[in-house]
Amino acid sequence: MLVSRRTALKQVLFVSAGLAILPSCLHDKKPPEFKVKNIDLNSDEEATLISLADVIIPGGEKPGARQVKADQYAMTIMDDCYPKADQEKFKTGLQAFQKEWKKGDDTFLKKMEETAPDASPASSFYHTYKDLLIQGYTGSEYYLTKVFPYELVPGRFHGSVLVNKG
Amino acid sequence: MPHINTGDTSHNFDAIVIGSGISGGWAAKEFTEKGLKTLVLERGRDVKHLKDYPTTSMMPWEFKHRGQLTQQQKDDNPVVSKCYAFKEDALHFFVKDKEHPYVQDKPFDWIRGYQVGGKSLLWARQTQRWSNYDFEGPARDGFAVDWPIRYEDIAPWYSYVEKFAGISGNKDNLPGLPDGEFLPPMDLTKVEEYFKDFVGKNYKDRHVIYGRCAHVTQPQEIHKQQGRMQCQKRDLCQRGCPFGGYFSSNASTIPWAEKTGNLTLKPDSVVHSIIYDAQKGKATGVRVIDAKTKAATEYFAPVIFVNAAAINTNIILLNSTSDRFPNGLGNDNGLLGKYFAFHNYRAVITGKYEGLLEYTTDGKRPTSAYIPRFRNLVKQETDFLRGYAAGFHAMRPSYSKQDGFGTQLKDNLSKKDLGPWFVGSHMMGETIPKEQSRLFLDKDQKDEWGIPLLHTDIGYDDNDEKMVKDFFEQMTEMYTKAGFTDLKTRDSKQAPGLDIHEMGGVRMGHDPKTSLLNKWNQMHLVKNVFVTDGACMTSTSTQNPSLTYMALTARAVDYAVKEMKKGTI
Repeated sequence: MLVSRRTALKQVLFVSAGLAILPSCLHDKKPPEFKVKNIDLNSDEEATLISLADVIIPGGEKPGARQVKADQYAMTIMDDCYPKADQEKFKTGLQAFQKEWKKGDDTFLKKMEETAPDASPASSFYHTYKDLLIQGYTGSEYYLTKVFPYELVPGRFHGSVLVNKG
Repeated sequence: MPHINTGDTSHNFDAIVIGSGISGGWAAKEFTEKGLKTLVLERGRDVKHLKDYPTTSMMPWEFKHRGQLTQQQKDDNPVVSKCYAFKEDALHFFVKDKEHPYVQDKPFDWIRGYQVGGKSLLWARQTQRWSNYDFEGPARDGFAVDWPIRYEDIAPWYSYVEKFAGISGNKDNLPGLPDGEFLPPMDLTKVEEYFKDFVGKNYKDRHVIYGRCAHVTQPQEIHKQQGRMQCQKRDLCQRGCPFGGYFSSNASTIPWAEKTGNLTLKPDSVVHSIIYDAQKGKATGVRVIDAKTKAATEYFAPVIFVNAAAINTNIILLNSTSDRFPNGLGNDNGLLGKYFAFHNYRAVITGKYEGLLEYTTDGKRPTSAYIPRFRNLVKQETDFLRGYAAGFHAMRPSYSKQDGFGTQLKDNLSKKDLGPWFVGSHMMGETIPKEQSRLFLDKDQKDEWGIPLLHTDIGYDDNDEKMVKDFFEQMTEMYTKAGFTDLKTRDSKQAPGLDIHEMGGVRMGHDPKTSLLNKWNQMHLVKNVFVTDGACMTSTSTQNPSLTYMALTARAVDYAVKEMKKGTI
């Protein structure tokens, strides 16, 4: 646990360092990170989504949310599959979240974890985005080939199998 | 409209079949095997087995939305997007709402598959036989009209179609649900077995069985000849099966008919109406509109099978007007389009089971258990008529803990835990056909192909409400006694139609005054026109109806060909 904690902290520090440089080089010229049609994101908001993805499911030895493009997936789903009202709520929530979250601030995220999704705009954003990141991560090629391989052709069904206690 | 193309032999056939879905495919197979040059008209595009299943081998991550519908797709399709199978991997096999409008005088969710194979690509593949408790229902309980056939008339034809289609099942020896020609069953789960034993011991006349289904669990010679292989338990049937593991027109009857050399299959051919010749006293052919160019054509044959799917068969007959039949073909009694019915699928119960946790399942299964009708089976005993069957499933999904973030969450997602068993049942209720439940055509508005728009005027009644209540009471009692907990009942209030078991409008019966078809599915008043899809159903019973359509079709073709040889048609 200690080790993973340290790794996590390193991740966060790394991300924070990256973000400190980002705003200056992100202005206007760089193509948008997320190909979204219905949600208008400025570069700060994009940066928040990216760094938050990295904090929620960090990379490292094994790929995290960013490496399997779960953040891209999350925003594709928000953009294509959610009604307009939910997209607006997401955007408002993202802005509220941004104001309170300093990159590297685990305390605020812990607070979000303990807050019900409907408690505040920031919490609503956090939980929605986290759920979508998990969907994207667990539905990714990496996860479905390396972590829990998906069987396209199982060829079998056994109705009574003893649970392996091992 | 003037007769066009007359004298052109390429427009003359021995038989015309309208529709290539589950019953039309059977008509095509039977006619062509008997040596008749057969024209099959399909209003949708062609879908060739294997070649035209674009998503069949796609991995989950290859779908942009991992199976979900976009908001635009939902907004554009308020009706079809309610269907459980209308998802990213199969939406190309469904009719989109805007393409084919209709008028809902009362809400009706009309789910359609316009392509070669029709909805046989998409069906839930449950194949339970009817018994005489079903065929004798209307006469015993005093509704609709008496079925002109009994179980004995159709039993050999059930066997005939089951052997070819490939039906997986158990011999259960239940009078209400006769056994058939079965390939081996798939497993029930441990908790399904437990509930089966529990219900068997605690209720005299209630049973939980393995649902018979159209999956080739052990290919026989006849399936190998069709090029079909053993079901691989992918549970992705709605995409079209690369193994031909389940029965569809595309994998089975249509290629079989093609092999005879007697089949002409014309996709993109919308049947406008059936042409009636008053002097000859019979139908001579069909008028067809090209789905793309809108050009009109006519085709001719001495016998016509209407298998356009229940509602479209009603539309074609209602639109087949002439001086002799101003209200639709064979419709002197004015009953065409009436006594339309469906299955009541509103009620669902779910729960958990915390026992037998030392067991789980392995692999996937494209079917479930089944609870045959037990209410009012042998005699009337409740304050509502008829009864319901129910599905039953008990599965034990695994899940990852999702709390926290960072390494903690990542570690959690790399592990899975088994939860309790989840159990559930959905109701499949018989509804009573009523004269006021009807389909009719708009007097002014027409679709792109010049066919009047359909009106649906079909609703639930008091009998349906009582049945939903009884389902909840009885299932709650059975589930509670069996030790299932956290029970939740839900009445979806879904509109009729979403069951995709619409039936009637061209019902069978003894008497031309009160029915449209005789005991051979032959129109009383137009002897060379047969209807063997859902439109012919006098009552609905509770069983998934496709198997019965298949059996009725094979039986009717056999009769029609014999009569043609005798010269009576």
